Amino acid sequence: MELAILLFVLLACLTIGVPVAFSLLFSSLCCFFVMDIPAVVAFQRLSAGMSIFTLMAIPFFIFAGDLMYRSGIADRLVQIAEAAFGKTRGGLGPVNVGASTLFGAVSGSAIASASAMGSTLMPIMKERGYDGDYMVNVTVTGAVVGLLIPPSHNMIIYSAASGIGVSIGDLFLAGIIPGLLTAILLMVVAWRVAVRRGYPRGVFPGWQMFLRAIIFAVPGLMTAVIIMGGILSGVFTATESSAFAVIYTVIIGMFAYRTLGWTRLVEAATQSVKITAMVLLIIGAASAFGYCLAILEAPSQLANLITSITDNPILVLLIINVILLLLGTFMDMSPLIVITTPILLPVVMGVGVDPVHFGIIMMLNLGIGLVTPPVGSVLFVGSAVGKVPVEDSVKTIWPFYLALIAALMCITFFPALSLSLPQLF
Amino acid sequence: MRQAIADFTHRAADVLVKVAALGLVAMTLIVGWQVFGRYVLNSSPSWSEQAALTLMIWYVTLAAAAGVREGFHIRIVALENAVGEKPRRILRAVSDLIVAACGAAMLVWGGELVLRTWSHTIPSLGLPRGLAYAGVPISGALIVLFALERLLEESHGDTVEDEEDPRWS
Repeated sequence: MELAILLFVLLACLTIGVPVAFSLLFSSLCCFFVMDIPAVVAFQRLSAGMSIFTLMAIPFFIFAGDLMYRSGIADRLVQIAEAAFGKTRGGLGPVNVGASTLFGAVSGSAIASASAMGSTLMPIMKERGYDGDYMVNVTVTGAVVGLLIPPSHNMIIYSAASGIGVSIGDLFLAGIIPGLLTAILLMVVAWRVAVRRGYPRGVFPGWQMFLRAIIFAVPGLMTAVIIMGGILSGVFTATESSAFAVIYTVIIGMFAYRTLGWTRLVEAATQSVKITAMVLLIIGAASAFGYCLAILEAPSQLANLITSITDNPILVLLIINVILLLLGTFMDMSPLIVITTPILLPVVMGVGVDPVHFGIIMMLNLGIGLVTPPVGSVLFVGSAVGKVPVEDSVKTIWPFYLALIAALMCITFFPALSLSLPQLF
Repeated sequence: MRQAIADFTHRAADVLVKVAALGLVAMTLIVGWQVFGRYVLNSSPSWSEQAALTLMIWYVTLAAAAGVREGFHIRIVALENAVGEKPRRILRAVSDLIVAACGAAMLVWGGELVLRTWSHTIPSLGLPRGLAYAGVPISGALIVLFALERLLEESHGDTVEDEEDPRWS
């Protein structure tokens, strides 16, 4: 009964457009009142939920990614990708996916990726006769790859939401192969569709341009190397490495690239602090909400429900994938991670799924939700940058959805794709 | 008068975000200093972790309040976009009231939390634990103010523009 009230109030709030953080807080407060628990406990959970050292990596990674974006690295990443794939027919499609993958190594935000790739590549694609819907489809689905390529602040949210301290270093490593696999599948689809539509061949930009692009991009891409190296060697914690990444990015942006002035620095800091406030308030409110779910024993109820159908891990993961895909169509990624992880993780661990493996499944699954209507923030950004109505781009996006779903199925059913790299280190 | 309130709250939200941005920069420097201290000076400052964390709770709660005024919190607008002008106003009013109620709760029970934890000391920082949480009731009071301001605007037929989702740029 209390569980019904909790979920009903949450859904009602979300539907009428109350911000996600306040929907979570309000429904938890209702639940506290009904169950006669002092409301101060809700705020104790909220504050404690935000006071976690690891969570500090979220603002740092967002800040570093934003600074990198403003220092104009996207152009050079595009040039590298163009040298590699530009010469094939319809080459700008695969170029876009390749550049998005590289961008994933400097920023974990799919939205930043879609707007960076959209604003640098879409004008060129348009000029060479690519259709608007194709541009948007490639850009937004390519942006999903960046969620899997480390660093990824969503993985830190997952690690914090898991409650069992899933290793951030392991999650980062585990994302690499699935990320590359997704990128390859998307490239193949982008190339096939481009050939069918008869898009033109590109020209090789020349070795000089290629070298220059690489020289420019290397300091930026080094950020990812420093972060991974620091975490894996134990020199830095994830939080320290992310703070170091911010300082490093500021230094190379100001002195190596010389594109980062005070104005951009201030813009980046204010933008990052807004996103951080939004995400962390949701995390705080979700821990009050999670407390309600826990005392109502929702995770074990769901586990009983699912395991009464099957206890085959593959089927359980399939069912959970379907649930998450459905939720993802109308809700954003970070709130879904914080709300669903505490419920679903015990269920999948009960049937023997590795928490790192499940985290990677979740990243890609909820990433797909970012590019599906009715609510898909990355799809909306891509359509807005390309000035193509969302309805038009969605009409022809299905081959790209199929590639993403195929990647999701591979990652779900072959745990080794995710787990072999973390096991090496 | 109404215009003056709108201008004032808008400017207040702007200042809050700027202060919060300073907090983010300070937090970066503190954690950077911690790494520097450990590897270069061979002595890790004991206060840095807790100080950075306390700073983060403060700037997150303050910027979150500004987000209510500027409308940058993630929310689902599908229904709002699907209905006509009049139902949309009602939906917005209900939503603003719920946000205001949450703000009031943050003020009252967040305040109680601060009082209760005032006697606890944050290890290695020597400050009361309640001080770290004091951002919650302050933010709650601001949220009530900002949500009611939006309600006032809407009830007079003005549309309060939501700021673009900050993740867009």
